[in-house]
Amino acid sequence: MTNLLDIQNLNVSFRTYGIRNNVLKDVGLKIPEGGRVALIGETGSGKSVTSKTILGTLPDNAVVESGTIRFDGEDVLTLSQGKREAMKGTAFSIIMQDPLSSFNPVFRIGRHLDDVLRFSDRRLGETSNSRDRRRRIEQVLRQVQLSDPARIFDAYPSQLSGGMRQRVLIALALLHQPRLLIADEPGTALDVTTQDEIMKLINSLVSDNGLSLLMITHNLGVVRKMADDIYVMRHGEIVEHGPLKTIFRTPQQAYTKALIAAIPPLYGPGVEDQKAVDAEPIVSLSNVSKSFDEKLLFGRGRSHLAVKDVSLQVSKGEIFGLAGESGSGKTTVARMIMGLIRPTAGSITVDGDTVGEKGRGPDFRELIQIVYQNPGTSLNPKRTVGQTLSVPLRFAGLRADAVEKRIHELLAHVELQPHYISKYPHELSGGQKQRVAIARALAANPKIIVLDEPTSALDVSVQKNVIDLLQKLRDDLGLTFLFISHDLSLMRNFCSHIAIMLRGEVVESGEPRQVFADPQHPYTRALIAAVPVMSDEEDRLKPQTSIEERRRYLADTAV
Amino acid sequence: MRRFTLWGTISTGPAMQTNPAQLMLKRLVGFAGVMFVLSAMIFILARIVPGDPARIALGPSATQQQVDEMRLEMGLDAPLWQQYTDYVWRGIQGDFGKSLISGRQVSDEIAALLPATLELVIVTVLLIVAVSIPLGVMTARYRNSWIDNVGRFFSIVGVTMPSFLFAILLQLIAANFLSDWPVLGRVNYSLDLPDGPTGLLLVDSVVHGDWRVFWSALQHLIFPSMALAMAGIGQITRITRSAMIEHQRRDHVLTLKSFGVPDRVIVFRYLLKLSSIAPLTIMGLEFASLIGNAFVVELVFSWGGFASYGLESILQKDLNAVMAVVLVSGFFFVVANLVIDIVLMAIDPRLRFKEAK
Repeated sequence: MTNLLDIQNLNVSFRTYGIRNNVLKDVGLKIPEGGRVALIGETGSGKSVTSKTILGTLPDNAVVESGTIRFDGEDVLTLSQGKREAMKGTAFSIIMQDPLSSFNPVFRIGRHLDDVLRFSDRRLGETSNSRDRRRRIEQVLRQVQLSDPARIFDAYPSQLSGGMRQRVLIALALLHQPRLLIADEPGTALDVTTQDEIMKLINSLVSDNGLSLLMITHNLGVVRKMADDIYVMRHGEIVEHGPLKTIFRTPQQAYTKALIAAIPPLYGPGVEDQKAVDAEPIVSLSNVSKSFDEKLLFGRGRSHLAVKDVSLQVSKGEIFGLAGESGSGKTTVARMIMGLIRPTAGSITVDGDTVGEKGRGPDFRELIQIVYQNPGTSLNPKRTVGQTLSVPLRFAGLRADAVEKRIHELLAHVELQPHYISKYPHELSGGQKQRVAIARALAANPKIIVLDEPTSALDVSVQKNVIDLLQKLRDDLGLTFLFISHDLSLMRNFCSHIAIMLRGEVVESGEPRQVFADPQHPYTRALIAAVPVMSDEEDRLKPQTSIEERRRYLADTAV
Repeated sequence: MRRFTLWGTISTGPAMQTNPAQLMLKRLVGFAGVMFVLSAMIFILARIVPGDPARIALGPSATQQQVDEMRLEMGLDAPLWQQYTDYVWRGIQGDFGKSLISGRQVSDEIAALLPATLELVIVTVLLIVAVSIPLGVMTARYRNSWIDNVGRFFSIVGVTMPSFLFAILLQLIAANFLSDWPVLGRVNYSLDLPDGPTGLLLVDSVVHGDWRVFWSALQHLIFPSMALAMAGIGQITRITRSAMIEHQRRDHVLTLKSFGVPDRVIVFRYLLKLSSIAPLTIMGLEFASLIGNAFVVELVFSWGGFASYGLESILQKDLNAVMAVVLVSGFFFVVANLVIDIVLMAIDPRLRFKEAK
């Protein structure tokens, strides 16, 4: 079989203020005609730079030092600028990663599609009129299973859901029937069920049209379904490559092994069961509802019921998982428990006191704290670790010398060296930042910590370390966690109790072992079935769902 | 995302559907609120400043009895709230009382002078938009090149140099190099000026087909509006530039680039529309402040407009005129922002539709 794309000894460096920084080192990669290749690696490993070098969209300060990129036998790096431009979108095209930010919000979807089609037509020397282009665009939109192409064409990006926008991004890549499709982490910004649909769609498009696929991802579960060959990248180098089965079964490099081991299993012998906690409840919600009303000038407008009649109990020392997709109301529940917003109906009791009766006094603040999803944005970039940690301590009324002592104690808790006290967030890695955020939550000596997707912004290998740390903290300090996430395989292993939310309601709740072995609600089944896993065995153990069920509960199921 | 406006914050986040009619109604109520607060404040201020309006009107030689009669005539004996409601009621009908100095109706005096300032300010705003948005786009596109440096230099000069200095410099240049170019007044008054309908000479002369008046008015307008526009040009150029640079880094630009959409289309269509939101918002505030602050330039060019009228009435303690000037400026401030809000809604669909989750 001939290789459609053949990259050899590719070296790319970035120049910033005269300093040369090699980001790709002797990268070699082959994609056979009709093949599906995955490039995996963690943040900053050089995956996206590789795809940008192929496409020719590197930033101005990047320099291709040496190497060749042969597409269909021809080295694209030596082509003239015009020929290179003409290949964009026609010979190869990219499926952008983030559907939410990849459209200009003040232009209609159709405008984006039309401009892309018009200019690539022009570069190919073809003329086209707008009615003809519109017909072709609507045809491609139907191909990506968007059932009402005319409406999509006239919609603004903000009027479409994330899943629909991701489909439009795929349509954008297919407008000119390219031979190579580069997918840059498609669907990672979306919910699992939507992501699952998107993967299936890309797979069928690739096989139906005989395309080749370069899949860039960090999710190994996704890779299993989307690729035949794997290239593992680390620090700009390909450390290991080979057929998927070989790499998954017998990884050679320690890095690859660690990457595979870091994925929490959904089923099978590797699954950890957290002991069920039998203690008195520390948080209890009874028949809690929350509605948000549109404020009109006169009277009240439509109201939106975010949380519907939720009752649950969190026992002392438990890791209580609250799962659900975006918009299911899990964050609203957490904010109500924290007393940040008041429920419209029902009552919430935390550590024996009803929330909202006495307001959010200092006692209550000390009782319950939160760790946010993205430590990159929840830490103030202008403050050192020490300064960040001293704020809650000063609120707690500690004197200067006591603050200093307590900060060292906190850093020890989250396993950071004492000298981190004077570092700024930009000097820390993602995992270290999240440790600082955890230390900040611990500062007030809380009994309960709300963890709002604390690992979703982190790489899998880092995720494992942070989860281990959290587990240790719970055992050492006797904390109770309320863990909000949509990562079901993580929750299976980490939580001692799990509740699944759908459209503001808790549809299922129980011990993870039970919930995963025998899910009662069809939504739970659909949700679990969509989780990408690492082996066929796990796939077999997943609950079965029918298309009807999926269509009933999953907003983005097109078919 | 939340956008701050004068009337409060408009949530553009994953809130509920926003109805444009509802939004407009909210704005109109805000409009009335601003005018109410403004009128109450200026009324109270006018009543608590030392000095008896009746005494000022009559001058130092009047007897106490004359002053008392005047007070009665002006309604100053009534309780304060009644004076205020009277004032507002008459103000709505366009009656702001008589000037304490000239004795003529304040509304007549303002009606005579306002078009001159409006014309100056409108041309200034057009000039600001015409110069600064292209300049902002170019400085952003050729960032850190000589174009950018020159553009940035001019915007700093524009912002820092006071407008009267520009006014005098432009007058000197005109006098030196363009010897028959008029540098004082609004138009050549020896011409037959068209009568109505707007009072704006450029518009009226076109309506009447009188091109000599049009040309004369335009000649007179150019230098004052240039002097007045400099600060705005500097500011809006900088804002446009930073908005363009900010949006250049976004994913949607990369999307279009990855599919080979030409750079000029990305910059002049996609980025420009998105980046015009911030400068337009500032433009609304700018328009209103120009009406109040044009007096410096008006004085230098003997323009005889509304802004210099306001200054004179303050210096002469002509309270009725001051109050009217403040209210009329406030009215234009509110109207300008209303117009900008409508324009922004037309540009940005996120203000019209609910944001999908």
